[in-house]
Amino acid sequence: MTCYRFPQTLFGLCLLLFLITTPLHGTENQTDQECFESRDGMSQVKVEEISPGLVNVKCSSTTGGVLWWGDPFAGTIPMGDMDIEADYSTEEAVVKPREPELDKNKMLTICSMACHDGNYVPIPHSKSPRRLKMHLDTVPDALNLKHGKGNIWCLDCHHLVERTKLIDNFGYSISFNQPQKLCGKCHGQVYRSWRDGLHGKRIGMWDKGGKKRWWVCTECHNPHDVEQEERNSGFAQLRPEPAPNLPKGMDNANHERMHHGPHSGGNAHE
Amino acid sequence: MPKQDSSKTKDNKLTSRRDFLRSAGNYTVASLSGAAMLLSDPKPAKANVTWEEHFQKNYRLMTDEEKQQAIERLETRYTEEYGKPVTVDGSPSMEGVLFGYALNIQKCIGCRRCVKACVAENNQSRGDEQQIEWIRVLRMEKGKFSEADRDQHGYPESFGVQVGGNAYKPAGVVLEGQHYYEPDQVPEKDAFYFPMQCMQCEKPPCVKVCPVRTTYRDPDGIVVIDYNWCIGCRMCIGACPYWARRFNWGEPNLPKEEMNPVTHYLGNRPRMKGVVEKCSFCVQRTRKGRWTACVEVCPVGARKFGNLLDPNSEIRKVLAKKKVFRLRADLNTYPKFFYYMD
Ligand code: SF4
Ligand code: SF4
Repeated sequence: MTCYRFPQTLFGLCLLLFLITTPLHGTENQTDQECFESRDGMSQVKVEEISPGLVNVKCSSTTGGVLWWGDPFAGTIPMGDMDIEADYSTEEAVVKPREPELDKNKMLTICSMACHDGNYVPIPHSKSPRRLKMHLDTVPDALNLKHGKGNIWCLDCHHLVERTKLIDNFGYSISFNQPQKLCGKCHGQVYRSWRDGLHGKRIGMWDKGGKKRWWVCTECHNPHDVEQEERNSGFAQLRPEPAPNLPKGMDNANHERMHHGPHSGGNAHE
Repeated sequence: MPKQDSSKTKDNKLTSRRDFLRSAGNYTVASLSGAAMLLSDPKPAKANVTWEEHFQKNYRLMTDEEKQQAIERLETRYTEEYGKPVTVDGSPSMEGVLFGYALNIQKCIGCRRCVKACVAENNQSRGDEQQIEWIRVLRMEKGKFSEADRDQHGYPESFGVQVGGNAYKPAGVVLEGQHYYEPDQVPEKDAFYFPMQCMQCEKPPCVKVCPVRTTYRDPDGIVVIDYNWCIGCRMCIGACPYWARRFNWGEPNLPKEEMNPVTHYLGNRPRMKGVVEKCSFCVQRTRKGRWTACVEVCPVGARKFGNLLDPNSEIRKVLAKKKVFRLRADLNTYPKFFYYMD
């Protein structure tokens, strides 16, 4: 752990982090080590040895973020058909399926089969948003939907009767593994930029025709809280990796935080 | 704490050409009497650095056969030193390719994951004694700009970046780039972040000044270093306008278990004390078609990389569609590293 240069006030936090993360991120190659790719808590990956001496991912010991992919295509499936011809339709494009991550506790599957089949629990006829009466514990962020500024509700994205699916403009279902087809309904410009390979992230081969793993929307963005409060940014904040070591003989980096301009009279910047 | 002991035990071993020449005593006669002195040197030469390695030619001038021999020598030595099979690749420049890089400064959140991914991939020295990072991320303060400021303030004092105003009345001053920021969470409200690394200049000042021409630009645009011929004069460090180069002041600390065994001769093979190193666009990956480690790790997808000669590549789409600039374009270094905004 690199806690030694943190300000005093952070020491407690650092200690706590140490206690929390040590069992998980203590040593390399520990079989139960788990870290996250882009979205903390919702893009988890377990460290595994894929061939002698080669791990699928290397993780940061301070933040638990994935730092390095030994096999960029581990656990991926073909991206599937896209509605518009683009570069990747001639390439081998793969994605990491979202369903296993979203349905970790099998709630999605159970709920949709047991009750929400369109009969047992009727489909609501009015679209006007109302407070959920049940399941507040199983649907995180449901009471506090921060997406669409009050203009959309659950069933604009989730399928009416198939709760393990999303819904397109014609009422057909979309797999959770292809959220881009859903998000592209409204965010057309971002969708086009993503298809061009500009928005978002890919790993694998850069060369023409090379195999690429494409990140899909929900691997980076939380669809129930894209606004992130006043930050109004689609990406949740992260803990940064530690700063570089100070040059020998330098005790702190206060010189960097000094305002020498006309406003401050040389006060340290907070 | 990472273990620090692994390479600290090489006291009497010769680790670079410069050390070798120094120990041979007389620079000018080294080439004539080197062999004899090596044989009669009371101190044992670095056990596994061979006579041939010390006297090998500049990589740029080697025949294919000599390159192959140099590579095999290194593979044997590294495999022994790091206790696992190490490969040293010698892939030459790619035909029809000019590598380009683009970074979206509007997206970057300053998480420094690219910095650490680069260290894991490229076998930099780590630990307290000697930490080498090829990428640095600067935190830049966002300027505040009010009408009152516009009219009331005089000259700024010595430090900081002027925000608005004119030559006589700057409206405000913000901090210069910060290296050592350490907030709990990034991005912070009042900051943006500016990562920098080697720009792989088309007219690289570092190449111009290198007295032994051990750093040179390959036709696919990567500026590389043959570490064996580096004499450690650090001229290139002084010449580089982007502070891209780092020097191994001491014996690098590269723990065996963290060492990346997939290496390239001109890229991430282990370095020695007294030589300069820098970003090579992950030559060991990119000449095999794989993205660089920093492109892959960036959690927000701010980093784009590809072939500038392919009109359909992502990098060309960035240049065509986004607002692009290059750092210090006024210096005529023609960097192949672009910054952009949406
Ligand atoms: S950025 Fe610096 S090290 Fe890189 S090519 Fe340009 S001058 Fe050389
Ligand atoms: S990994 Fe990406 S977001 Fe993080 S500091 Fe590097 S460029 Fe910025």
